[in-house]
Amino acid sequence: MKVELYNQVVNSGMTRRGVLKGAASVGALSMMGSLISAKAAMAQDDLRQQILAIPGVGNGSPTDADWQKVGELCLGGTKSNVAEGEFAGVELTFFGINNNGLHNILFRGFLASWEKYTGAKINWIDLAQADYNPRLQQSIATGTVDFDILAMGAPLEGDTAGQGLLDEMPDWVKTQIEMDDYVSYLQAPVGTWAGKTYRITIDGDCHTFAYRKDYFGEGSISGLTEAPTTWQGVNAYSAAVKGQKDPLTGQDAIGYLDPLKGWGGFGFYFLEDRATAYVKYPGNPAWLFEPETMKPMVNNPGWVQAIQDVMDNIPNMPADQINADPGTTAFQQFLAGTGSGVCWWGDVGSNAKTSDTSVVGDVVGFSINPGSDKVYNPTAAAWETPATPNFAPNMAFLGWGVYVTNRVSADEKKRKAAWSVAAHLGGKDISLWMAAYPSGFQPYRNSHFNYEEWAAAGYDRAFVEDYLGSNADSYNHPNAAIEPRIPGIFQYYSVAEDELAKGYAGTYASAQETADAIAAAWEKITDQIGRDGQIALYKASLGM
Amino acid sequence: MSEGDLLHVVASDNIGPTRRTLGLALIWGSPTVLGLVALAQTLQAWAGFDFGFTNWRPTLYAYVLYAGCLCWGQVLVKGEQGKRILFVLPAALFVVSLTVFPLLFGLVIAFSDWNLSSLDGRQFNGVANLVQMWHDPFYWNALTNMVWYVLAILPEYVVAFALALMLNADIRGQKFFRVAFLMPLMLSPVAVSWMIGKSMMETRFGPLANLMKHLGWEEPSFFSSPWIAKSTMMLMDAWTFIPFMMIMILAGLQAIPKELQEAARVDGASGWRSFWEVTFPLMLPVSITAVLIRLIFKLKLADIVITVTSGGPGGATDTVTSFIFREYRDRSNVGYGTMLAMVYLVIIIVAMTLLMKAADRYMKSSY
Repeated sequence: MKVELYNQVVNSGMTRRGVLKGAASVGALSMMGSLISAKAAMAQDDLRQQILAIPGVGNGSPTDADWQKVGELCLGGTKSNVAEGEFAGVELTFFGINNNGLHNILFRGFLASWEKYTGAKINWIDLAQADYNPRLQQSIATGTVDFDILAMGAPLEGDTAGQGLLDEMPDWVKTQIEMDDYVSYLQAPVGTWAGKTYRITIDGDCHTFAYRKDYFGEGSISGLTEAPTTWQGVNAYSAAVKGQKDPLTGQDAIGYLDPLKGWGGFGFYFLEDRATAYVKYPGNPAWLFEPETMKPMVNNPGWVQAIQDVMDNIPNMPADQINADPGTTAFQQFLAGTGSGVCWWGDVGSNAKTSDTSVVGDVVGFSINPGSDKVYNPTAAAWETPATPNFAPNMAFLGWGVYVTNRVSADEKKRKAAWSVAAHLGGKDISLWMAAYPSGFQPYRNSHFNYEEWAAAGYDRAFVEDYLGSNADSYNHPNAAIEPRIPGIFQYYSVAEDELAKGYAGTYASAQETADAIAAAWEKITDQIGRDGQIALYKASLGM
Repeated sequence: MSEGDLLHVVASDNIGPTRRTLGLALIWGSPTVLGLVALAQTLQAWAGFDFGFTNWRPTLYAYVLYAGCLCWGQVLVKGEQGKRILFVLPAALFVVSLTVFPLLFGLVIAFSDWNLSSLDGRQFNGVANLVQMWHDPFYWNALTNMVWYVLAILPEYVVAFALALMLNADIRGQKFFRVAFLMPLMLSPVAVSWMIGKSMMETRFGPLANLMKHLGWEEPSFFSSPWIAKSTMMLMDAWTFIPFMMIMILAGLQAIPKELQEAARVDGASGWRSFWEVTFPLMLPVSITAVLIRLIFKLKLADIVITVTSGGPGGATDTVTSFIFREYRDRSNVGYGTMLAMVYLVIIIVAMTLLMKAADRYMKSSY
C-alpha cells in the first residue's frame, strides 16, 4: 500500500486496524480504490505544488523558516511509520557538510518538525567541504566513528561500506522513499555493497555545461550562432571573446572558466569534465585506471590533451584564475557575471534563478558537457575520429546520499530513528523541493523531470526544460563516465591537484610531464593502499 | 637545612612513620597501578587478551590517579618541603602529558606506513618515510620557500624599529597611532586572508587592484606569478606581525634612560649617531628576542597560504606547514605527514638553538 493512499484512507476516518481487518473493510476499500487513488494523487499533487510555492521562484533565497515549513509539510511519510513521541529520549548525531549555508544547515530546518513529532534530538557535526573527507577517514581509521547518520558521496562507499561500517537499509524505508523512482544510473550497484543496500539517495550528481546565451547568436561577441558543443569549440570561442566587453555586465568578456586551484581533491572533477570526452571510449567503462593492473591512464594522450586544453585556455581567463577554485568559478565568477561558460553540478542551474547573488538567471543556458571531435582508444592506443563528436558526461561524485552507521545496529529504537531521519530527507516530495531550490542537490528521480511542476512553481518553462534536460540527458547518456567507488579516491584527486597546479604554473615543461607526474604519484598511492584490493574493488565498481 | 630555608617554614613538620609509609605507598603504588592498567590494555590491543576494555580511558584515569597520588605523597613524605614541590609538580606533569607523550606517540607514527584508507592499518616501515622525504620535491620546495619567508624578517624588523621610534617620539595622536598600528595583530590571519588577499586584492573589483590599474598595472594580479605571489604573501604576513615586533621594541625604547641620549646630545652626537651608537646597541637584547619570537611565528606560517593560494601558483607560496597540512589532511597520509612534521621540528630546534647561541656569544663579546 502506498503511503499516500494509506494516509488518504486514514484521513477519511479509517484507522489502520479498520483498514486491515475484515472482508467488509477490504470490500469497501476495493470499491473506493479508484476514488482513493485519484484523491491520493491529487493530494500529493497539491502537496508538491504547495511546497514548490515556498518561497516561490523570484522571491529571494529560501530561509530557515521556509525549510521548516517544507519539512513539516513533508512529514507524512514519517507519520505513517512512526508514532508520535516514539523516539523520545533518543539522541542521534548527524555528520555532514555546511557548504554555502546549505546541506546540514538546510537539514536542520527540514528536521525541526521531525524532532518535534518523534521526540528525538539530533546533534550535528558540520564540516567545510575540504574538511569532510579527512575527518571521515580519521574517524574510520582510528575507530572513533562518533556519528549515527552521515551524508556521504557514493565514491566513499569503498571506505565505509567496504569496511563494514554501515547499517543495511530496512525494507520499510525503501517503501517510504519510493526507491524505484531513482534515475537508472543511481539504481544498484550504486548505493549497494555486496548485494546489500545502504544508501538513501538525496542527490544525483553529474556535471553539465552552463553557458551565457548572450555570448552566442546573431551579432554576438563570440561570432557563433550557437554555444559550442565540443571542447575544441569551447577553447576557440574563449579565445575569440578575449578583448571584448561582456554584454551583460560591461566588464571584460571572458570565455570558459577552468578552476585552476585545488579544492581538497574535488577540483580534479573539472579536469575530468574535459578529459572524459577524449578518454571515455564508448563501450569501455575504464577511463581512470587500467582494470587489470590499476595502472593510471591519466598520462595517456587523451588526458594529456585535456591538460593541454586547460593550459591553452589560461591566457583567456581572468588574470588571477590560478587562484580560482571550483567554488569561485561557479559562485563568485559565473553566477556573478564573470565568464560565460562553466561546468558544474546542477545547483548552478537552480541558483541561477533563485539565488540572490545570481545576475545571470535570464541569460543562462545548459547542455551536457561538451564532447570532442576525436577520442582516444586505449585498447588500440590510437586516436580515432568518430562521425559525430564523442560525448561522455561526467557523473562527478555520483550524488550525496544519507547513510546510517552500524553504531545504531544493536539498538532497534535508535536504528529505526536514524533510518527515519534519513527517509525523511530522502522522501519523494521533499526531494522535489531540494531539486528546485538552492540546496546543494540536484534532481535524481524520474519524477523530478515533470516540467509542469517546475513551471507551476514559477520557473520559466524554457529554462527548466533546458536545465533539467541537460541533467536528464547526462544521466541517461550511454557513454556516461561513472566514477569508481574505490578507497582513497580523493587521495588520488588531491595529489593530482598539486601536480596540476605545478603544471599550470609552468613548473613542468609540458602537459605530458604534468600527466606523468600525476601517474607516478597515483602508482605510489595504489601501492600504499594495496594494489590487489584496489584492483578487485575497481573492477567491481565497473561491473567487471 | 640552611637558615634561609628555615625562614620560610610556617609550621613544624612532624612526620610519623605511618604517614611516611602511606606517602611512600601512594608514590610507588599508583605508578604500579598505572603500569598494570597500561600493560593490560596493551596486551588486549596487540596480544589478543581480553580484559573487557572498550577504550583507552582506563589508562588515562590511572595516569590521573598517579599524578594525584604523586602530589599527595610528596606532602605526606616531605611535609612543608612537599608543599613547595606542589607549586611545580602539577605543571610539570601537565607539560609531560601534553608534550612528551604526544611526541612519543608521534615518533611511533612517523616511522609507520599509515594511509587511513589502507585496510592494513598502520605498519612499521623503518626509515622509508625519511627516504621518501629526501626525494620529495614538494617538501624541498616548501623548505626553500621558508628560507625566503624567514629572510623577510629582516626588513620587517627595520620597519618595526622605525615605527617604534616614531611612536616613542613626542608626536600628536601618539595613543591613537599606538592602537591603530596594533590592530593588524589583533586580526585573525584567516580574516586577513579574506579581507586583503581575497577581497582588496581581487582583480576585478578589489580596491588595491583598482589602485594598481590607476597606477598603470594593466591586469593587476597579486598571486598569479611565483615571485609576485610570494612577495604578496610576505607583505600580508608582515602587515599582520610587524606590530608584534614594534610593540616589543617600543617597550625596550621606553626602558632606555633618557639621560643616556641627553648625554650623547650634549657630547654633540647627531640624531643618526646617537641612534647608532647609543639607542641601537642598547636595544640589541630586546631586538634579538623580538626577532627570535618572530622567527618562531614565521616558521609556522600556513593559514594565509592555505586560504589564499593553497601553496600556488605551482608551489611558489607553499610553506612546510601548508604542505604537511595537504599531505596529512587531503591525502590521509598520516605516517609520512607526521615524519615531515618531526623533521621540521628537529630543523627548527637546531636552528633556534644555534641562533640563540650565536646571539648570546655576540652579546657577550660586544658588551
